[in-house]
Amino acid sequence: MSGLRLVGIRKSYGDHPVVKGVDLEVASGEFLVMVGPSGCGKTTLLRVIAGLEAVDSGQVLMSGADVTQVPPRDRDVGMVFQSYALYPHMTVRENLAFGLELRKVPRADVDARVAEAAAMLELTNLLERKPKALSGGQRQRVAMGRVIVRRPRLFLFDEPLSNLDTALRVQMRGELARLHRKLGVTMVYVTHDQVEAMTLATRVAVFDKGVLQQVGPPLELYHRPGNAFVAGFLGSPSMNLFDARREGTALVGAGFRLEAAGDYAGDVKLGLRPQDLTVSADGPFTGEVAAVERLGFDGYVFLETAAGPLTARFDGSLPVEVGQTVRVRPNGDVAHVFSADGARALRHPEAPR
Amino acid sequence: MRWLAVALALSACADAPAARPLKLWHAYRGGEEQAIERAVARFTEETHVAVEVLSVPYDAFSSKLTSAIPHGAGPDVFIFAHERLRQFHRLKVVAPTTQRLERARYLPSTVEALDVDGELYGYPLSLKTLALFVNTALVTDPPETTDQWLSQLEATSDAERARFGLAYAAGDFYLHAPFVFGFGARLFDDAGRASFDTKGMARSLAFVKALQTRGFMPQEVSGALVKSLFNEGRAAMVISGPWFTGEIDPSVRYRITPLPTVSETGLPLTPFLGVEAALVSSRASRPDDAHRLAEFLSRGEATALRVNPGRQIPAELAAYERPEVVGDEAIAAFRRAAERAVPTPNTLEMAKVWEPMKLALRGVLQGEVSPEAAGALAERRYAALNREQPSGRDRPGATSPWPWLVALAGGLVAFAVRQWRRRGPPVPFARRYPEAARGLAYVAPAAVGIAVLIVVPFSVGISLAFFHHEAGDYTFVGLANFVDILTSKGYRVTEPLSFWFTLAVTIAWTFVNVALHLGIGLGLALLLKDPLLKLRAVYRVVLIVPWAVPNYITALMWKGMFHRQFGAINGLLAALGLEPVSWFTHFSTSFAANVITNTWLGFPFMMVVSLGALQSIPQDLYEAAEVDGASKWTQLRRITLPLLKPALLPSVILGCVWTFNMFNIIYLVSGGEPGGATDILVSEAYRWAFQRNEQYGFAAAYSVLIFFVLLGWTRLTRRLTGPEAA
Amino acid sequence: MKRPGLVTALVHVGLVLACVVALYPVLWVVKLALSPAQALTLSVSPFPEAVTLDHFRDVVGATDSQGRWLFGRQLGASVVVSGLTTVVGLSLAVTAAYALSRFRFPGKDAGMQTLLVTQMFPATLMLVPLFSLLQALGLLDSWAGLVLVYSTSSLPFCVWMLKGYFDTIPRELEEAATMDGASPWQTFVKVVLPLARPALAVTALFSFMTAWNEFILAATLINDAGRFTLPVALQQYVGEWKTEWGHFAAGALLVSAPVMALFFALQRFLVGGLTAGAVKG
Repeated sequence: MSGLRLVGIRKSYGDHPVVKGVDLEVASGEFLVMVGPSGCGKTTLLRVIAGLEAVDSGQVLMSGADVTQVPPRDRDVGMVFQSYALYPHMTVRENLAFGLELRKVPRADVDARVAEAAAMLELTNLLERKPKALSGGQRQRVAMGRVIVRRPRLFLFDEPLSNLDTALRVQMRGELARLHRKLGVTMVYVTHDQVEAMTLATRVAVFDKGVLQQVGPPLELYHRPGNAFVAGFLGSPSMNLFDARREGTALVGAGFRLEAAGDYAGDVKLGLRPQDLTVSADGPFTGEVAAVERLGFDGYVFLETAAGPLTARFDGSLPVEVGQTVRVRPNGDVAHVFSADGARALRHPEAPR
Repeated sequence: MRWLAVALALSACADAPAARPLKLWHAYRGGEEQAIERAVARFTEETHVAVEVLSVPYDAFSSKLTSAIPHGAGPDVFIFAHERLRQFHRLKVVAPTTQRLERARYLPSTVEALDVDGELYGYPLSLKTLALFVNTALVTDPPETTDQWLSQLEATSDAERARFGLAYAAGDFYLHAPFVFGFGARLFDDAGRASFDTKGMARSLAFVKALQTRGFMPQEVSGALVKSLFNEGRAAMVISGPWFTGEIDPSVRYRITPLPTVSETGLPLTPFLGVEAALVSSRASRPDDAHRLAEFLSRGEATALRVNPGRQIPAELAAYERPEVVGDEAIAAFRRAAERAVPTPNTLEMAKVWEPMKLALRGVLQGEVSPEAAGALAERRYAALNREQPSGRDRPGATSPWPWLVALAGGLVAFAVRQWRRRGPPVPFARRYPEAARGLAYVAPAAVGIAVLIVVPFSVGISLAFFHHEAGDYTFVGLANFVDILTSKGYRVTEPLSFWFTLAVTIAWTFVNVALHLGIGLGLALLLKDPLLKLRAVYRVVLIVPWAVPNYITALMWKGMFHRQFGAINGLLAALGLEPVSWFTHFSTSFAANVITNTWLGFPFMMVVSLGALQSIPQDLYEAAEVDGASKWTQLRRITLPLLKPALLPSVILGCVWTFNMFNIIYLVSGGEPGGATDILVSEAYRWAFQRNEQYGFAAAYSVLIFFVLLGWTRLTRRLTGPEAA
Repeated sequence: MKRPGLVTALVHVGLVLACVVALYPVLWVVKLALSPAQALTLSVSPFPEAVTLDHFRDVVGATDSQGRWLFGRQLGASVVVSGLTTVVGLSLAVTAAYALSRFRFPGKDAGMQTLLVTQMFPATLMLVPLFSLLQALGLLDSWAGLVLVYSTSSLPFCVWMLKGYFDTIPRELEEAATMDGASPWQTFVKVVLPLARPALAVTALFSFMTAWNEFILAATLINDAGRFTLPVALQQYVGEWKTEWGHFAAGALLVSAPVMALFFALQRFLVGGLTAGAVKG
């Protein structure tokens, strides 16, 4: 089967390490999304999988076979580039057919497969155009079509939607998901947009500073982040993180005291998702409103508290104004607790109702 | 591999079949060329020896001979004027003919001309000398003495009506030499050294200057002017050589007589006698055949052909018995003139006379120096041009190149070690350069080509800079060449010959040109920027025309346009009611002529580059500026120019390097006139190498200095402009 | 924004003036070539008073003693030498420039510097060493020698320019081709070269011009009038005692015509090709 396994991948540019020993397994038919801030090594890793970068050490296995030294064209993978990388001197048809022609696929097959892919992506009317004459979304679809016609066992995407406007991005996201369901192939997808990660992935891999932080189904990562970085990276707005200390049954930080259950002691990091906090008449947190974001029936309020900035949800009907001092309380037992350096999760709230 | 195969295939074509024909080189054109070819054909008919004739462009002949002959790649027989004989002898490339030559068959003076230290070289073919052409409609009796001559000149001259008694290319020392001898001066002292600062010299210069100031002859006479004045009957007399007979309009009645005698001294005006000889190469493949060919060309039928269609004055005495020659007045006249002439000395010293004398002569004629002071001027120039071989003894370490080579090797090793140390922590090679093998493979062919055909010759050139070259011998002199150049030994720093003066001229030349290229190019690009402009494509095509013309053609074309009497520029000035300018007699105008030519040929490049750079500036910047209320002028100053700078800088640097070394324009347009003042460093180096006794070492030192000036300059600009530059 | 009419008129006046200056000398040569006289005559008008094709006939019809049609042979020589120079120069420059633009290898920066530095060598003064060198290589008196010298001498500028252009082609296109299954060579030929067409055109033009216009080396190295290139033949009209202006002008036009034609054929590439290359450096 067409699974993918990475073993101890290391890669550096000159003296600068970019990927610091990554082990990762992707099951056949899976849609794995690699996320992380820019410079975290996710794109490099994707290029390593594609064969565009040589590794310093480690192994890339596909369907069980070691392909670390195999050149890209023999790996049977397809890749959609961030800039689409359409050949400007070829028409859409030529762009789609290029890979097949290089592989000496018979003419009739080429035509059939190009036609099929074009139909699937609604490109049939654009086949004789040059890329210059296409819109952003159309170019994006050609870039995908170029991979689809080749029917590789592994699809790679390098931030394919980042050059599109929001509406188009939502639409293309849907198409990608549909495509994955339809083709059932393994896909590895790099993005820095956590919404894409959450909506597309069967599993998400979060990277930071060249290290794989955590990998798992999207909701698993959301509810049970393995460390403070993952907790802060997934979810929007970001999780509030405060330094705190366990004192009896409570967590005490600058200007707050919060009752919290769990089996840990000493200095910790407290994580609270904004969605789990509400502006109310009382509560452990007090702060001055720095900004208000009204989304309709509710909204977010951004406070300056003694412990640092804090984001909380509020009921849209509340008259919250910038400059006001308000109180915030958690909606029940919602505290995530991490070790003081943020590297380990010590406690998560009960699974959501 | 591929091109090596092509190379081999092509060079195979160059290999001759088993019985290799004799090779004969000459620089004749027209009738003279026909004559030599027919003579050679006759030779082959008679002897069945095949001959390959090559007519070499005159400008290339000398450098071709001096490069080819020492390498044994030259001809078996070549035709050259006897003045260079001594040099050919020193290079050991000519075979003696003392035993074979039948002296009695030739005019004695022509044999005398071929004498080098008692040995004779070559077979005399023809002679060239100067005589007086007299328009018999204007002057009935040719003058016998200069007094008589002067009164005739007075009678026939009327400068107001542009009528002159005399016209000749007075600025050329070859034509002035008769006056030097006529006034009793000697060109060489008893030791054989050239002497300029003599009484006779001053008198001869004063005489000629007076001809001009009294309006007997026009100023700045060129060959073209002489011809047109004589043919239009506006010059009663002309001093010229045999070649002039072909230029005269058939309607003009004229006589040719020897030049008159100087009344004060009783000496005739004595022109030089140039003898063209068939010289046999010392490396001729079949010497006997080569001598047979050379001798054949000097006699009998070949001589007859030389007279007609060659229109040359034969050296063979028997030729003058031939009926067609007996009747030919011109030939008879030149023979008489030749009897009064002195063979141009074939000494090395003679070769050193031309440039100083040209300077003195033009200085006098243009009124910049008095006839009395001109000799001293020539003397100084002579001393500067003819550098003694720097002696090794008074310069430590200047006797052998080995200490230098050792020091150089040591320096290289030290440098390599330092570079290695500086590397820092070692990164495995394969990781540092993952594509090294492919990269090197792609670069290799070009790198080999550049290394072999550019770097090697240049390195050889650099090493020559440490040697003194004289007639084929190289002597190691250490840094002496550089010291002499940088201290401008032998002449003042402010004289045109000094390195510093030339450097200043070169910098001015480069700066002015590049500024004009950039200014005009950018200006036109701005005018052409608007894509909606009507006829834009037409303008663009027309404006790159100058770029498409090969630059030597451009140079000769503009040289013609700047002609004092017949040039279009002076024609335009005259049409505008302005005084015509004699472009090449003053530094400023001569420099300007060079600049105008170079600007014309160079602005399209900058225009095209600017157009491209302008297109790379996003249109919305202008819109933003427009919204901000910036005027067009402000937009140009604050947006266009700053954004163009990084895009144009590399082209400007390249343009500077090219202009700095723009040899063709300087050499062909002003030729360094006046007196070498407008020469730039490259053309100066060229003169040292090819026009001043092949001082290759000195020229190489010049080239090395040019190289370092440019290198330093580009380094400096890069530092000043930061990393955005190339 | 609408340009005021006056400004447009001024722009046209300026451009027309520049065009007159650019064309006048050329017309002057045309006139010399068509006028019956062999010498310069004073006249401002760029149009000939009388027209004759004699000079062209003389130049084109020149034959040597063996009745060989010199002009035809010399034209052939020029075409062969310039054509080969273009092919050799271009293939050397393209590969080297691509490597310099894309690959990391030791000596790369030094190589780029050397390229610029070679532009500072005073070329005229390399004649003497070059002659010895070509003799040692057995390439004297052969077109091969000329082709090699010409193609290497135009190489630094060509490489510099092409490298700049290659730098502007996104690497992702090549990676896409790699992913599509193209070998490095296929990527180069099917993706990079077609995209570099403007720069290739300009480079070819430059190589061609270098070879087509050169005469000092050609005159020095070649020993057969039938194998001279056209500029050498042209130089013969400029003699010691007199210049045959009519022949020279006619010859100059004949020599320049192909270069001009090429220029105009390729001029739409000039701006793009040159700018990306020479400008970006």
